[in-house]
Amino acid sequence: MNGHCNGKVNDATSAAHRMHETSRKEAEDESRLPALEAAYTSILRELGEDTDRQGLLRTPLRAAKAMQFLTKGYHETIDDILNNAIFDEDHDEMVIVKGIDMFSLCEHHPGVHIGYIPNKKVVGLSKLARIVEIFSRRLQVQERLTKQIAMGISEALQPKGVAVVIEAAHMCMVMRGVQKMNSRTVTSTMLGVYLEDPKTREEFLTLSQHY
Amino acid sequence: MEHSKQTQYSSNEKKDTGDGGSVLNGHFDGMVKRPAGGTARAAAAPQAPGAESGSHRAATSVMESWKEERTRSVEDNEMSLPSLAAAYTTILRGLGEDPQRQGLLKTPWRAATAMQFFTKGYQEKIIDVLNDAIFDEDHDEMVIVKDIDMFSMCEHHLVPIFGRVHIGYLPNKRVLGLSKLARIVEIYSRRLQVQERLTKQIAVAITEALQPTGVGVVIEATHMCMVMRGVQKMNSKTVTSTMLGVFREDPKTRDEFLTLIRS
Repeated sequence: MNGHCNGKVNDATSAAHRMHETSRKEAEDESRLPALEAAYTSILRELGEDTDRQGLLRTPLRAAKAMQFLTKGYHETIDDILNNAIFDEDHDEMVIVKGIDMFSLCEHHPGVHIGYIPNKKVVGLSKLARIVEIFSRRLQVQERLTKQIAMGISEALQPKGVAVVIEAAHMCMVMRGVQKMNSRTVTSTMLGVYLEDPKTREEFLTLSQHY
Repeated sequence: MEHSKQTQYSSNEKKDTGDGGSVLNGHFDGMVKRPAGGTARAAAAPQAPGAESGSHRAATSVMESWKEERTRSVEDNEMSLPSLAAAYTTILRGLGEDPQRQGLLKTPWRAATAMQFFTKGYQEKIIDVLNDAIFDEDHDEMVIVKDIDMFSMCEHHLVPIFGRVHIGYLPNKRVLGLSKLARIVEIYSRRLQVQERLTKQIAVAITEALQPTGVGVVIEATHMCMVMRGVQKMNSKTVTSTMLGVFREDPKTRDEFLTLIRS
């Protein structure tokens, strides 16, 4: 399922994903903190640590806040960040933003590469990076993340084509389990003209390789 | 049954208080026996990163790391698993996720097992790892093992730290099996850690195992707590070092070590 989708949007799935965007409000974060803290305290004890030692005294609170930060994508929506930054521009050549650092839970580094061919509408460049942030600051699966970014851009701009490539190292494979330090996972989603025209796809892949 | 683990832990602590220091899961605080006899807690401040001339003269006065460090057994792990998994389920809910969706169904168990793996240093003792591999060898030139990949967990935020450890020592008639240096790194890094403490623990363990003429340990690491959140500085690295014995006293030896690990 990772890789080239056939251009048909599975509306139910993307609607579900969009619903995920608004399932958590910032106000809720505060009220959930005690439960998260208690859970982390319990974890520390179960691992055999002493929760009263100096270094760990406030760790449950810090860890809970950190976790909320790392999943803050759940309460951000595409509309909020994009609405102001779509401009009418008569440009129909490829636009690429590459090497976007990305940290998701489990995946991290080295980069997300995004390309699109505008159809009269361009988007502020930093908004592409913000779209990456929204979807990556969640509990994720790399395949889904790639597709969500592509779909997000596609729906906002209706461009002629969108390409997203993510290359990441998965800590679950590096720090534990098979423990392969240098392995990388690469996923891609090609939509529109990137899917249909091999030359366009090739141009994108070549230009995004070196960073 | 959980109580047994806690009691075992606190009885360890009581045993050690008489020495003026105390062992907390193998982390010594303020190992140095200061002549003024300050409290163990007061001496627990971690050394400044990169300090090569810290105020401690800890070469010989540290015995605590040889003491019984193991606070966790494989049986403890199995018994803790349900509570750990329950805690992770609470966390998933608390973050607004649905623990019943397909991708998350077994996540609490996987996360719990992973966390136990990331803290497996609590189950291991230096003695088990080292005792067979110390050899008498008439070698008195520097031995360096560098670029040892290291993965640890930040004890303040419970997010990963990863980096590289470089170890050098000058043997004094006894050498250590090379992979044992990497195993020492593993025992101390697979814990909830602070980079300063980790560096020192590795250096002290080697010192006590071999009584070498000197030991140097340098760690360069990236802290996810600084990269993924907070200040969010992607490229920052934290470097800490501990120099003991002749590595501390003789600048030329130290220079040789630092040069050789750079190349």
